[in-house]
Amino acid sequence: MFYDSLLLAYRNIRERKFRSFLTLLGIAVGIAAIIALIAVGYGMQHSITKELTGMADIITVMPGRQIIPGLGGYAEPITDRDIVDIERIGGVESTGRWMYGTAQVEYRKERTPVTIISGETRDLEEMYEVYAEFEEGRWIHEGDYRGCTIGYNVAHEYFDEDIGVSDRLTINGEKFVVVGVLEKAGAMASTDLDPNIFLTIRAAQDVLGTKDIYMLTVRISDIDRADDIAEEIKRTLDENHNMEDFAQAMTMSSMIEQIGTVFLMLQAVLVGIASIALIVGSIGIMNSMLMSVMERTHEIGIMKAIGATNSNIILLFLTEAGMISLVGGILGCILGTITATLVSIGVSFYIGMEMPAIITPEVAIGSLSVAILVGIISGLYPARRAAKMSPVEAVRYG
Amino acid sequence: MIRAVNLKKIYKMGEIEVPALRGVSLDIPDGDYVAIEGPSGSGKSTLLNMIGCLDRPTSGNVFIDDVDTSKLNDNELAKIRREKIGFIFQMFNLIPTLNALENVSLPMMFYGASRGKRIKKAEELLKIVGLSDRANHKPSELSGGEQQRVAIARALANDPPVIFGDEPTGNLDTEAGKVIMDFLEKLNKKGETLIIVTHDPEIAARAHRSIRMRDGTLKA
Repeated sequence: MFYDSLLLAYRNIRERKFRSFLTLLGIAVGIAAIIALIAVGYGMQHSITKELTGMADIITVMPGRQIIPGLGGYAEPITDRDIVDIERIGGVESTGRWMYGTAQVEYRKERTPVTIISGETRDLEEMYEVYAEFEEGRWIHEGDYRGCTIGYNVAHEYFDEDIGVSDRLTINGEKFVVVGVLEKAGAMASTDLDPNIFLTIRAAQDVLGTKDIYMLTVRISDIDRADDIAEEIKRTLDENHNMEDFAQAMTMSSMIEQIGTVFLMLQAVLVGIASIALIVGSIGIMNSMLMSVMERTHEIGIMKAIGATNSNIILLFLTEAGMISLVGGILGCILGTITATLVSIGVSFYIGMEMPAIITPEVAIGSLSVAILVGIISGLYPARRAAKMSPVEAVRYG
Repeated sequence: MIRAVNLKKIYKMGEIEVPALRGVSLDIPDGDYVAIEGPSGSGKSTLLNMIGCLDRPTSGNVFIDDVDTSKLNDNELAKIRREKIGFIFQMFNLIPTLNALENVSLPMMFYGASRGKRIKKAEELLKIVGLSDRANHKPSELSGGEQQRVAIARALANDPPVIFGDEPTGNLDTEAGKVIMDFLEKLNKKGETLIIVTHDPEIAARAHRSIRMRDGTLKA
């Protein structure tokens, strides 16, 4: 009987090709929206997690009560003693200092304030490895005491004349030579790279006139002990500064966890929105099935007259609704995959970070199941209505 | 054996009640050939629908093989229609999306017969009504007479003991009508109970007996 219902349903769908197509398109769009959003969401999470996992051996240490440096903040900086103490903690391999500040930069008689970022050159290179492409030149090396690497905006927008490699700048009165000019960065790293000048720690100390350190990156040898080490770093700094909560030490895994939570919420919201499309699609199925019941009143009457039971009729209509939604679901999966792939290509291009569209079998199977379920639920009412018709009235309807 | 006892049927048209049957009783023994005659509106089709289990009477009982159908639920009624009754309608009432063979096998599908068995039986039945070469044609590709022969084959699909015909020749020309009636009578000779509703006195005259109706009652 089931196979026969499939056959009959197929005949009826084929009989009303265009309407059936529109109906299944409604479901397809809903499913496609959900698949695309989930795929893109997974992809984003995956690439960000992957990037952070690549830095899992790094703990970021900052004074917890930091007030933005250069804007008159008076949070205590990290001291040399702190650094020595941290390096003594078991599992710590090395520490890297970071400095930030603003300096007056002069180029061919023109002056403008520019943000200075300074770190161990190895850290700089590694931190921006994914995003940074060079227009010309390279990152500063440890020996480049009077060398600097500059962002795209510094090179092309801040001054009337463009700046290139080997050009000379004056930073807070000190003379520097440009060794590298960065390309314009993608959206993800634009504020980190484009408007800044990068110096070695030694040069930055001279230029900014301070040795205050407001951020440390601590490299560790044992990733599994990251949380313990971070805890110990925090305790050491709090003791040194005689303050509760002086420092915060963040491991990448805690960041990954946080990001995971944010993504989960984001996806729930997005899928919720996409579900609206699916609900509209299911109303389409119900509408189409109700029309079909009306049109086929006579046929239903004949079937009942020759011995079809109510459940036979329900099965026929549910099969038809299920079939439309199954095909709609499959089409939706295909459309969703295409959309997700296009979005991922677009986003990868725009933010300059590879972001794959990830469609897991669970998501595909889940979406198909939802599609069929939605179809059957929307078909239930029309099917019951068809089954309840009195055979004699239905036959007379013709 | 079909027995109707004091059947009444009242249709409600808004506030107005229209009595279609006003207390009809009759017995139709197995193998009988009965014509139900009467002008339109006399209630003859309504009577057929009641004793054919297509509709329920407002009051009164229909017994089929001593089973009181008023006590049966929808599914049990469907079972009786499927197994004991074959219907032939004036408008043929074939399913337009199915071909002749599929139309004939449809009652067997509801009966639960296997696909192979159904096709074999449907082919046999189409052969009996002389339409083997039309098996793959849709109703719209068949003449009226041919459609009615497909309908007869369909009515016979589950070997029911009773055939009901509601003006089975009403939409056919004389020649095609004669073929249909000859065929139905042949079935009756083989033992099938035949109950035909008609307003054609010539057809009524061919039956073993004729029941005349007027205004919802039997006229002696």
